[in-house]
Amino acid sequence: MKLNLSNAWLAKRAAEEEGHEVSTGRTDMDALLADTKIVEPSPHVFAEASNAHVVAAEIEGPRTAFRMLIHLWRRKKGIRLDQLAKRADVDLAELIAIEQDVRYVPEPRTVYQLAHTLGVPTDRMLQLSGNTVVRDSHFGEEAVRFAARAESVEKLTKDEQQALEEFVKYLSEA
Amino acid sequence: MSTQSPARLKERRTGELCDAVLLDGLGKEEIEAVEGVWRPFLEAELARLEAEGVSKAKWPQHRGWDWRKKQKAIDGLLAYRIFGIACASQMQGLMLVATAGKSARIQSQRGRPLIYIHFLATAPWNSPLVVAEPKYSLVGSVLMAAAIQLSLDEEFAGRVGLHSLPQADDWYRRCGMTDLGPDPSEKQNLRYFEMTPEQAQAFLN
Repeated sequence: MKLNLSNAWLAKRAAEEEGHEVSTGRTDMDALLADTKIVEPSPHVFAEASNAHVVAAEIEGPRTAFRMLIHLWRRKKGIRLDQLAKRADVDLAELIAIEQDVRYVPEPRTVYQLAHTLGVPTDRMLQLSGNTVVRDSHFGEEAVRFAARAESVEKLTKDEQQALEEFVKYLSEA
Repeated sequence: MSTQSPARLKERRTGELCDAVLLDGLGKEEIEAVEGVWRPFLEAELARLEAEGVSKAKWPQHRGWDWRKKQKAIDGLLAYRIFGIACASQMQGLMLVATAGKSARIQSQRGRPLIYIHFLATAPWNSPLVVAEPKYSLVGSVLMAAAIQLSLDEEFAGRVGLHSLPQADDWYRRCGMTDLGPDPSEKQNLRYFEMTPEQAQAFLN
């Protein structure tokens, strides 16, 4: 970050600021903790998990769903990574990292751009991507179910196509 | 590891501008070091205010803040950052912002993303509520400029939002922010302030 603050600006702002209290924010941390609270998955998600793949998806959290959402949407549209990067105006290297590394957390701007391109709400995409936390346990469970159904294969299977359509619909209605 | 950018603050005693450093991305160890200096100073000054019979209504409303807890709450979350401004080998102010998950409320900008300032604080020796002669001014202005610049960098067009403590309401109006009044969803009944792209440009000019 580069700040270009001239002497004239500093003089003007100092005159405005001196004598005034500037410290601000809630006196407690409730709002911050609510925004950053991680919702624990409910036990029945694990109870329904009959194989290691589902359990792994739960552990990785919604980021798996984010990765698979981008991946399946792109395959459904029949476009390459570089084409999606161009269409969404995001960095190709970052898009590759999103699809290939579940631990990768993309920049908020990238998430906004991808949400706009896919036509899904940005707040949900921010939660899936790991930029903000999932506050809604049902949402988290839906993300896990989607991730569990979306195996990465060359051709979009009927089940994957259905999973993708259902999850995009859920994201848009949630 | 935090990144650094040059900035300046005004030393109130001499009226001179002093070189300062804006730090982006302060972590646990840096915050612990700040609290280790700020807290004893504040406690001593609060004891003085009490001894002088100053009403607690005039004490700083944020006197109970513990930045170590704030840092712990956001640790590992990419969408939250702590900025600091250091001068004369001491941290002169801190600011915790969210870069995602918050959107504008002003009608003309409604729904568009903004930088939300969760907390902003000067060092206690820079607060007119704590000491009679604050050491440095411009802490709030430089941190606000940093929030606006971050908003521009994130392509949020300069939009910034915050909930203000009553003791600071006046200053945020002086920053040119729009006062949207007490927030009905805010249990502390704090006023919500927002800066539009036009107001952000006016602030920086």
